[in-house]
Formats: sequence, structure tokens, C-alpha cells
Amino acid sequence: MEAAGGLAKELGNWTEVADFYKRACELYAESGKPQPGADALARGARALEDAVPDEAVRLYLDSCAILEEEDKEQLAFDTYRAATNLYLKLQRFEDAANMLLRWGLAADKCKAIQSQCKAYLSAIITYLYAQDLKQAEQCHVDCTQIDVFLQSEQNACAEKLLQAYREADPEEIKYVVSKSSTIQHLDHMIIRLAKQLPTGDMKAIASASGNIQDNELDVNNCIC
Amino acid sequence: MTVISILTRLDTLCKKYEKYDLEKQGGAQDSSNDAFLKLYKLMESDIEAALQKSSDASIEKNRAAVATLNAEVRRAKASMRNEISHLQKLAHKKVKGVTKEELAARPDIVLGLVGKIEAIPEGTIMGIKPKGGKPPAIPFEIKMDGVNPEDLIHPEQYQDTEESKGFREVVQKKKGKQDEGLEVISEGLETLKNMAQDINEELSRQVPLVEEIDSKVDKAALDLGNTNIRLKDTITKLRSSRNFCIDIVLMCVVLGIAGYLYK
Repeated sequence: MEAAGGLAKELGNWTEVADFYKRACELYAESGKPQPGADALARGARALEDAVPDEAVRLYLDSCAILEEEDKEQLAFDTYRAATNLYLKLQRFEDAANMLLRWGLAADKCKAIQSQCKAYLSAIITYLYAQDLKQAEQCHVDCTQIDVFLQSEQNACAEKLLQAYREADPEEIKYVVSKSSTIQHLDHMIIRLAKQLPTGDMKAIASASGNIQDNELDVNNCIC
Repeated sequence: MTVISILTRLDTLCKKYEKYDLEKQGGAQDSSNDAFLKLYKLMESDIEAALQKSSDASIEKNRAAVATLNAEVRRAKASMRNEISHLQKLAHKKVKGVTKEELAARPDIVLGLVGKIEAIPEGTIMGIKPKGGKPPAIPFEIKMDGVNPEDLIHPEQYQDTEESKGFREVVQKKKGKQDEGLEVISEGLETLKNMAQDINEELSRQVPLVEEIDSKVDKAALDLGNTNIRLKDTITKLRSSRNFCIDIVLMCVVLGIAGYLYK
């Protein structure tokens, strides 16, 4: 069926490509081999990336779901990366950030701490690129509840970046991105986004998240 | 019968008898003409899904899962907020079969929906945990040298000469070069550290695959050994001398008959 999918791709019958690869996955699943089925879906998605990206995204998500059900999240890392890159190409930044958080969760299950912290930092950078400082800060607060991220270099870098955003200082943001070796070791698509920071009107972004900053201060005062 | 085959059979049966599913058919017929109702029902189901995720997040103990669920809830709320404006436009459109009172009540229904969306909890902002676990700094004493009375008598000993200035400059330059070198080394070490951590993760990912290959290869070797033994037995039987003599005799007989026939 995969060979048929390859031929359909050369002929340009995109719906048939997806159908063949899905059927191949079903057949693998029926014969008790879900992991090659997930790989087949990922290959189908790669074949459809340029022509029908929405269908490709669906296939990537199905592949990740199968591997998550089988508790083989480590094998899904490449699929997560491919899906995230496709979302970024399609300018769907929220979905990309969501996928990165899902990647972080999968890494947490397999105790892949380095990948987990990188995924969280990448999610924060993606939210910042989408000019959503509020979401980025909420994401950061959620991620700092996880001990391994709290003590990581990626968290330190994220704190500096968010502080620069709160102060609406574009020079500081560029300095943090250029000097940080942590960002240089992320995925190349994320590095490209980080190098383009800051995007949009800094003051508008900082003022839009002004409310959340006040709330955080109130909570801190109560604790003190 | 495996679970997968049961599931696929169930899917085919459901598809076959879909037309008898009254709920699906009824729902489709009711809202086919009214776009407002369709969108409203869709948004209600989205709100329910978001509430379910939010309650899962509150129960979940794994913080990574909580972060993922909260992000999904926020994303769902953002997309629903975008749909609200479209719903408000549809609320004011006249539709056949809808009374004036119902039409007048629709904007209030939309406001109620907005309230429900805003009420969905999206994870409390608990504030950043303070970093703990750092070892206490070892206190060290700073000893201040007391003023030596002799220095007060001979202050010229501590005045800068040209030589000392030159030495100081050389020392500063060499320190600067050392600092640059150390920075390059630290960058290299950071890169090495990141690469080592990535390699570590990659290797831990490969370990179960290699173990699986190992067990499969062992099984294949065992099968090959058994096959070899059976093959050896078969060949031994074929090559027994008695069968060999019988074969030669029979071949001679056949050749003799053929020779007689062609004469």
C-alpha cells in the first residue's frame, strides 16, 4: 500500500496518497504492528507536506496519537518535530506551541529532560513570535511548576527573554537571543523565529499583558 | 480474534447502519436551515470539551500534562472568542421557522455563551516557584589588613613608577587575553555539553530498539540451527549408499531400454 501511495504521489492524486497510507497503517495495526503503522502515516504526511499541508498535519497528529497510545513516545519525537515545523510553515503559531507542549509531555514520560526543556523554551519563543506575551507568560508559569525545567538553563534564558519583553526593550531582547547558547541549540526553525524577535509593537504587547503582571505582583505580595 | 479486528468490524457495522441513527439524522435535519443553531451547538460542544480538559488538568498530578492541558484549554477559548463575533452576526439574521421572541432572545443567548467561555478555568497563575536546592554559600572571612605604621612614615614606597605602570598594563593585557581564551573555551564546553546531552537521549532511545533486534536475531539464529539439523538429516537419508546403488541400477535399466528402442 505504501508503494501505491508513492505512485499516487508521483501521479499527483493527493487524496489517494492519503487513503493509501491510512490503509497501510490500518493493515499494520490489524497485524499487530502499530509502530510501523505510525511510521507509515508519518511517511504519508511527509509526501503530502507541500501539496496538501492540512491533510499532512492530520496524518502527523494521528501518527503521534498511535505512538502515545502504545507508550512509545520516544519514537514520536521526529514526528513531533516535523508537525511543529509544518505548523510554523503554515503560520499556525498557537498550534505549533501546543504541539511543542505535547512534545514536552512525551519527553517527560520518557525522562528525556533535555528535549523537554528545549520543547518548553521553544513554545515560549513561538508565543513571543506570535506577539502573545500573555500566553507566553502563562506558559512559562505553567512550565516552571515542573522542577526539571525550573532548574534548567532553558528556564534562565526564558526568564531573561520575558523580562526584556516586559521592559519593552528590543535591544535587550536581541542581546539575549544573540548571546544565549541555549537558543542556538534549539531546532533550526525556532532559532530562525528567535532571531527575528521582537516582532510587532513592543509597547502594545507589553501593555496587553500589563494586567497579568499586576496580578502576579498581587500574588507575590500576598505570599510575602 | 484481536481487539483491532473487533474494532474494525464494529466500524464497518456502524457505517452500514448509520442511516438508522435517529439522533444523527434528526439533528442534521433540524439545524440544516439555521446556521445560528448549528454554530451555537458546535460552540456548546467545544465549551464542554474545554471544561472536561480543565477538570482533567485540575485532577492531573503530572505537571507536564497539566501544562499541556492548560495550553489546549487556552487555545480553545481563544478560537471560541473569535467565533463569538460571527455568532453575534448570525443572531441578528432572520430565519424561517423562528419566532420573533426567539430571535429577540438570541443576543442574550450569545452573551450567556460568552460568560460560559470566560468562566472556563485555564489554570491558576500560581506564580513562579522560588528556586531552591542551591547549597548555602560557604561564608569566607574577608581579612582587612590593618594600616602599618611604617607605611605612614614612608608613603613613597607605594607611589607608581613608570616601570610599575608598564608592568601593570602588561598584566592587564594578558588578563584580557586570558579572559578571551576562557570565553572561547566555555563556549566550546557548552556546545559539547549540549551535544553530549542530545547523544545521551538518542542512545537511550536506541537501547530498546537494539534489544529488540538482539532478541529477533537470537530467535532467527535458533530457527536457522533447527533448519540446518533437519536439512542435514534429509541429505543424509538421500545420500545413503543403498539408495545410490538402486538409483544407478535403475538408470542403467532405463538407458538399456532406450538403447534397445532406438536400435
